[in-house]
Amino acid sequence: MLLISCPYCGVERPETEFRYGGEAHIARPADPSQLNDEEWAQFLYMRTNTRGLYAERWRHAHGCGRFFNAVRDTVSDKFVCTYKAGEPKPDLDALARASQEKDAR
Amino acid sequence: MSAHSQKSTQSARLAHGGRIDRSRTLQFSFDGKVMQAHPGDTLASALIANGVHLVGRSFKYHRPRGILTAGSEEPNALVGVYRHGDQTPNLRATQVEVYEGLMAISQNRYPSLDFDVGAINDVLSPLFPAGFYYKTFMWPKAFWDKVYEPVIRAAAGLGKPPKLADPDHYANLYAHCDVLVIGSGPAGLAAALSASETGARVILCDEQAEMGGSLLSETGSTIEGLPAAEWVAATLATLAARDNVTLLPRTTAFGYFVQNFIALAERVTDHLAQPGANLPRERMWQVRAKEVVIAAGAHERPMVFPENDRPGILLASAGRTYLNRYGATVGRRVLVTTACDSAWAAAFDLADAGVEVVAIADMRATPPEHLREAAARRGIRVEAACVVTGTSGRLRVSKAMLGRLRNDGSVVSAGDVTCDAILMSSGWTPSVSLYSQSRGKVVWNAEHEAFLPGASVQRERSAGSCRGVNGLAAVLEDGYAAAANRQRRPQPVPRARADA
Repeated sequence: MLLISCPYCGVERPETEFRYGGEAHIARPADPSQLNDEEWAQFLYMRTNTRGLYAERWRHAHGCGRFFNAVRDTVSDKFVCTYKAGEPKPDLDALARASQEKDAR
Repeated sequence: MSAHSQKSTQSARLAHGGRIDRSRTLQFSFDGKVMQAHPGDTLASALIANGVHLVGRSFKYHRPRGILTAGSEEPNALVGVYRHGDQTPNLRATQVEVYEGLMAISQNRYPSLDFDVGAINDVLSPLFPAGFYYKTFMWPKAFWDKVYEPVIRAAAGLGKPPKLADPDHYANLYAHCDVLVIGSGPAGLAAALSASETGARVILCDEQAEMGGSLLSETGSTIEGLPAAEWVAATLATLAARDNVTLLPRTTAFGYFVQNFIALAERVTDHLAQPGANLPRERMWQVRAKEVVIAAGAHERPMVFPENDRPGILLASAGRTYLNRYGATVGRRVLVTTACDSAWAAAFDLADAGVEVVAIADMRATPPEHLREAAARRGIRVEAACVVTGTSGRLRVSKAMLGRLRNDGSVVSAGDVTCDAILMSSGWTPSVSLYSQSRGKVVWNAEHEAFLPGASVQRERSAGSCRGVNGLAAVLEDGYAAAANRQRRPQPVPRARADA
């Protein structure tokens, strides 16, 4: 069972308190009626599904109830960091390099 | 009924020694035969004290099987134990604690353990293709359902499942700690001492009833001026007096999950003759530890020779444990066969206790001089470059055939020896299973000739002989260091978790 740190509560809690919310930083189109079917399908369904660091949304469903974002390594299943919704997406490449250096030490 | 008034059945119990409580005598039964034991005995040590080595039959060929080890690694001595009118199958006799009235049965034999019709498989085995299988019995077709399958099903396998619904209840609890120490041998005790000094919350668990691990079977070693067993008692008293320490004996760590989430199974009432009605039979602990110290120790390897599965043939460390911890001897004429130093200690302890050690057969051409001198002082015959090439004896070993190893690798006969027990050891394999469960990759170490834990993936550290550290002083030092590093500098583990 993973431990996840909620940036609002400031505590680590077990995974069972949280709900997964899919990939983060996907902006909803301003005017969906202007999109053709392909663009709409792109927004709805297509995700990057990265192998490695991945920014994703989580909701502290059985805690504060709020959505936040997290960077998780999809290979090792380790959380690299969590941050509040609305904060900018971290530089994943820089995080990956830092994480590799940490491993090498 | 006073047991003292009866004649003792414990023919292989020595007059003194061991950590058993000789002031009380317990009665237990094995296959209906009533025997005596003392509090502190396991079923295996009690059987050995009663001169019983034959405890089971092998899975398929029904070969006679005896007790091999003194711990949870026991592969042979699987028994059924009655409780609440039904039996629990496949318990290791080495882990079952004897209590007044314990009823145990052997498994996979018919009609009895001494005379087993299934053993015909072993006699006929040269006629069957290698490891014959059910397909041998395909024809005639109608025979399968009515004859072959019921017979084969009854003949093969181990214990029988219980028939009644389980009347016991089981508890489950969560716990958090700063340091979880798994194993209470020298490394584990040292780690727990050092970690708890600064007030960190420590859980120390061990699968045995008594904490202390290998130190409970030690003779002659001293730690900080105290004999090993006294140091264990003093250390456990110190730990028990600290509020931040939880001691969990009879508790097996069986699962290592992500982010130091460890599952422990505590056996709460199996060792009690009359458990309280409100106590659970077992308790599952789910522990989230900030750090884990794995001090799981090492397993001794057997020597490989024909018919080394005969009852009366045990690992050397087990023979030493039965002697020093339980005051029982595995035999009256013991042969020791080995390829390493540690088995010599078993031979010396047996000889010092007055048991005849007929020979030490060491596979090495030149065993260390100090060991040979110590053997000579005790008048023990030493055979170098010598192996066991076979054994005989129907239900217990009675003779061993020795062979001389020549330089070209061939073996010539070196005569027979009469013996009623053989102790064997070909070295030690570090127990890396929990480390592997923590997702770590083991690395081959040529110096130790063993796979040892590599880099840590989680915040854990192996300490003591489970990471190839040998010798009591070095193991203790490693145990202290495993927990001490925690406070003085950042976690030395290379791949520590790094979430925000």
